[in-house]
Amino acid sequence: MLRFILVRLAAALPTLLGMSFVAFAIVALAPGDPVMMELRAMGIVPKPEDIAAIQAEYGLDKPFFARYFDWLGRAVRFEFGTSVATGRTVMAEIMIHLPATLALAISALLGAIVISLTLGSLAAMAGQFAGAGLRGVTVLLVSVPSFWLALLLIYIFVLRLGWARLVGDGSLSDLILPAVTLSLAVGAALGRMVYERIRSEMSEDYVRLAIAKGLGPMQILIGHIAPRIAGPLATAWANAFGGLLGGTVIVESIFGWPGLGQLILEAIAQRDFPVIQAYLVFMGLIFFVTSLIADLAVVLSDPQLRRRYSDE
Amino acid sequence: MSNQTLRIPALRILPRLTWLTRTGRHPIGLALGIMLLVGFALIGLLPALLDLPAPEHMDLLARLSPPSAAHPLGTDHLGRDVLARLIGAVPVSLGAALSAMVAILAISLPWGVIAALAGGRTDAVMMRLADIIMAFPMLVLALAIIGFMGASLEASILGVAAAWWPSNARLVRALVLSASHRDFVRAAYLSGASRMRVVLRHVLPQILPPLAVIISLETASVLLALSSLSFLGIGAQPPTPEWGAMLNEARPFFAQAPHMLIAPGLAVTFAVLAFNLVGEGLQSVLDKREPYRW
Repeated sequence: MLRFILVRLAAALPTLLGMSFVAFAIVALAPGDPVMMELRAMGIVPKPEDIAAIQAEYGLDKPFFARYFDWLGRAVRFEFGTSVATGRTVMAEIMIHLPATLALAISALLGAIVISLTLGSLAAMAGQFAGAGLRGVTVLLVSVPSFWLALLLIYIFVLRLGWARLVGDGSLSDLILPAVTLSLAVGAALGRMVYERIRSEMSEDYVRLAIAKGLGPMQILIGHIAPRIAGPLATAWANAFGGLLGGTVIVESIFGWPGLGQLILEAIAQRDFPVIQAYLVFMGLIFFVTSLIADLAVVLSDPQLRRRYSDE
Repeated sequence: MSNQTLRIPALRILPRLTWLTRTGRHPIGLALGIMLLVGFALIGLLPALLDLPAPEHMDLLARLSPPSAAHPLGTDHLGRDVLARLIGAVPVSLGAALSAMVAILAISLPWGVIAALAGGRTDAVMMRLADIIMAFPMLVLALAIIGFMGASLEASILGVAAAWWPSNARLVRALVLSASHRDFVRAAYLSGASRMRVVLRHVLPQILPPLAVIISLETASVLLALSSLSFLGIGAQPPTPEWGAMLNEARPFFAQAPHMLIAPGLAVTFAVLAFNLVGEGLQSVLDKREPYRW
C-alpha cells in the first residue's frame, strides 16, 4: 500500500509542476504591467529609472523561466508575497479564510453524498412512474442555479420564517443554509450518476443470478451492487468536491460566510494578483489531495486491485 | 440476446404499458426540453413581436413597481421593465453559453480525436496537458482567469471555455477510442480506406449520438457557470441585460421587490433545464440496456 502511494505521488509530480506553471503563467501573461499598477496604487507618477529599479527589485527584468523557478522556490515554502490591497502577507489572508471554506465544502459534500445515495437508489429501485418522478426532481434540482436557490432559501427561512439569520459570525448554525444550498444541486448531480451506475449494474448477469437465487432488492443493492460501484463513486465524490470548492464562492458571497470566496471576489475587483495566484495554487492543492484520497479508496474497495498492489 | 426474454413476466405489473419503455424511456422529458429550447430561440430571435420598451429604457417615476398592466413583470430599481430586460437577456445569456460551448468544442474535438488516433507518446503528452488543467477545480480556474483579464462577459466566456475544455477532450478521446476499435472500422482500414475516410465515414458517425448528449449536458453546466459569474458581478457588466446580472442587481431590493428575483431565476432554471432534459432524453433514447427487475 505504501508503495502504491509513493508510485502515485511520483506519477503526480509532473502534474504538480504543470499546475504550478499554469498558476505562474496566468499572472505573467496577464494584461497590464504589475509595476505600473503598483506605482499607480501608491499614487506616484513613475520615472523610467523608478520603473527599472522596481523591476529589478521584483526580479521582473529576468527572463521568463528564471522568474518561474524563483517563484516556484518561494511557492514551495508557501511564500506568495503580500496582498496589494491589504498589505498583509497572502498566506495570512488565506489562513484566515481557508478553514471556513473547507468547513462549508466538507459539510456540503457530506450532505450531497446522503442526498445522492437516497435519490439515486430510490430512482433506480422504484417502479416506472415513481422512478420517472424522482428523476424529474433530480433534473430540476440540477438545473436550479445555486445563487437563486440561496436567495429563495433566504427569502423563506430568513425573511418569512425567521429561523436563520443572514449576518452570521461563522458559528455552526450559520453553516446550515449555505451547506444545504450547495449540497442540493451537487447531490442531485451525483444522484444522477448513482442512478446511472446502479442501472448499468442491474443490467449485468450477476444481478440476474442474484434475483434467480431469490435475494431481495435491498440485499442485492447493498450486498452485490454497492461494493461494485463504491470505487467509481469515490472518484465522483472527489470531483464533486472540486466543484464544491468553486461553488463556495457563489454561496459565501450571498450568505456572508467568511471564507475564501469573499477574499477572491475582492481580489478580482482590486486586481490583487498575488492573492488570486495563491488562491489558485491552494485550491489546486486541496483538490489534488482529494483526488489522491479517492484513488486510494478505489484501490482499497476493489479486491483485485488491492491484491495486485499488496503482492508487489 | 433479446432483452425481453430476460425479464420475469410473472412479476411484471401492468404489462400493457411496456410500449412506453420500448419507445424510449422518457420521451416526455425530451419533448419538453426541445419545446423549451424552441421557445427560447423564438423569443430571442423575434423580440420585436412583443411591444415592449427597450431593455435600457428607464422610467424613474415607476421604480420597483410590482407587476401591472403596463409592466407585466414589474420594474427594477431604475424603473426598467423586467420583462423587456428578461427577453433582451435571451441572446446575451444563451449566446454567451453557446459561444463558450463553440470554443470548448473547437479545442476539445480536435484534441480528443488526435490524441485517440495518434496514440502512444502523443496521446500521453496531450492527455497529461489536459490533466494539468483539470487538476484545478473548474470554477476556480475560471475565476482566476477572469481575475487576471478583468471582469467582463468576454473574460468569463474565455475563462469558462479554458476551464471546461479538458474534461470534454477526455470524453471525446474515450468515445473515439471505443469507436475505432470496432471490427468494421478495422475492416475499413484493412480494405485500404485512407485514415481521413475512416475517421469521417466510420468513426465520426458513431460518436455523434453520444457527443450530442455530452454537448447538451455541458451547455447546461456552462450556462449555469456563466450566469453564476454574472451574478457575482464578474461576468456581464451593467447595463447589459443578463439573467444572472439581473439577479445581482435585485439583491439589495430583496425584501421590497421580490418580483425582481422570481423572473430571472426562473429564466435561468428553465434554460438550464431545457438543455438537461434534451441531454438526458437523448441519452435514454440511445440507452439500449434493460435492467433486470423483480
